[in-house]
Amino acid sequence: MDYFRDLLISGLTKGSIYALIALGYTMVYGIIALINFAHGEIYMIGAFTALIASMVLSQLGMAGWGLLLAVGAVAVVYAAMYGWTVEKIAYKPLRQASRLAPLISAIGMSIFLQNYVQLVQTPNFLTFPDLIPEISFLEPISHIVNKTQLAIWIITALIMVVLTCLIKFTRMGMAMRAVAQDKDMARLTGVNIDRVISTTFVMGSSLAAVGGLLIGCYMQQIDFYIGFLAGMKAFTAAVLGGIGSIPGAVLGALVLGFAESFAAGYLSSDYEDVVAFVLLIVILIVRPGGLLGSSQTQKV
Amino acid sequence: MLKLTGIHTYYGNIEALKGINLEVKKGEIIALLGSNGAGKTTTLASISGLVPPKRGEIVFDGESIINQSPESIVSKGLIQVPEGRHIFPDLTVLENLKMGAYLRRDKKGIADDLEYVMSLFPILAKRSTQSGGTLSGGEQQMLAISRALMGRPRMLLLDEPSLGLAPLIIRNIFDIIRQINLEQGTTILLVEQNANLALRVAHRAYILTTGSITLSGVADDLLADEGVRKAYLGG
Repeated sequence: MDYFRDLLISGLTKGSIYALIALGYTMVYGIIALINFAHGEIYMIGAFTALIASMVLSQLGMAGWGLLLAVGAVAVVYAAMYGWTVEKIAYKPLRQASRLAPLISAIGMSIFLQNYVQLVQTPNFLTFPDLIPEISFLEPISHIVNKTQLAIWIITALIMVVLTCLIKFTRMGMAMRAVAQDKDMARLTGVNIDRVISTTFVMGSSLAAVGGLLIGCYMQQIDFYIGFLAGMKAFTAAVLGGIGSIPGAVLGALVLGFAESFAAGYLSSDYEDVVAFVLLIVILIVRPGGLLGSSQTQKV
Repeated sequence: MLKLTGIHTYYGNIEALKGINLEVKKGEIIALLGSNGAGKTTTLASISGLVPPKRGEIVFDGESIINQSPESIVSKGLIQVPEGRHIFPDLTVLENLKMGAYLRRDKKGIADDLEYVMSLFPILAKRSTQSGGTLSGGEQQMLAISRALMGRPRMLLLDEPSLGLAPLIIRNIFDIIRQINLEQGTTILLVEQNANLALRVAHRAYILTTGSITLSGVADDLLADEGVRKAYLGG
């Protein structure tokens, strides 16, 4: 029973990180029907930025929650700038092109960013400090749930609530939904599509940066390649939940996190990735639109 | 108020509009008639900036609006109600209406206009929390017109408001169109396949045949004209 509980806890933690990344995939897809394959790299860049910021800021004497917040802010701003730039360089010029062109451009961007970080930083694994401060009330049960796991759950949950409110209740959120549903009509009500698309990339990249920071704290090591597999998994989670659907991405990420955790725990850790993709295939056979996706056929 | 001069619009290599000249004066209701594929919707898309014309000039209120983005044309008060209504299906009725006021910042004015459109179409008040996709065709048309009104249009472009609706609902909607024109002084360019109906509300009309204006005149004269009756009004 204890073993089951541990697997549940690690599954929830993984799922939370996947959710932070998957939201970026699903939001961008919802707006411009593009799979942004460079999104995993933004997450990786978020992690690297967080590492550098944490070294600089702790040298300057910052510590505790203040340090975590400051590092998070730096990582978010930096990754958001990357996300914004990637859209302007790699996707915007291809807005009118066939759907395959921006997809290839996205893969190219992903390879470029990976190699760029490898060259200007390092090809080696780097140690990442656990920036989450001690949480005193956790001490009696720290053998069950450690502080980093709890922090990941709470931060992820908070971000989900804020994101939902932004999309449901703000003017920009309403414009984003309108653009996702009917681009031409949104323009006829005066929405500037380019601004909405840029905002979507900035929001998705910010979430990925938080994911990068948290995964650094959790795994305590990063390298230039972490974005690839995490990006693949998060993309799987987004498709699993129904690409384009925001609650779908979160649900898909949690399902994937649990499935991987149980596969690793009860079968063998070698099967972890296999289970993720088998799950994707099975769900897509049963529900082609994903768990919460609409199954309606595209109108031509 | 709106003047098109020599408008040529292409879809790829196909010339859909072959030099359209058209003028709408302030406070008028102008009908643009023609059969399927004549270029009526393309004319509206050229005006609203969705399909920018290759050649020609469009002047709205003394200012050239050609090659401007749809959002900047909307901001000048030239607002289109597209064919097929294009309600945002997963936004509520209220949110659809708020989208119509997207460019406005005057909270008080928006609230007043919400009240006004709901007085025009009381059914929208009843349905305000429902998602747009659940409305009937007639209700969606009412919502589409109301959404455009929420932008305080100085001129409305209406594309086939009668399409696919029951006669009773059509009459209701056309009464409201006339009412908007009279009460608000809104200038209206009305595109219709149902020529009989359109000529009864319009002051003047243009008839479009395969991308060119072939006939224009005062609505009552066209209604009485033998040739027009034969070609467009079913005898």
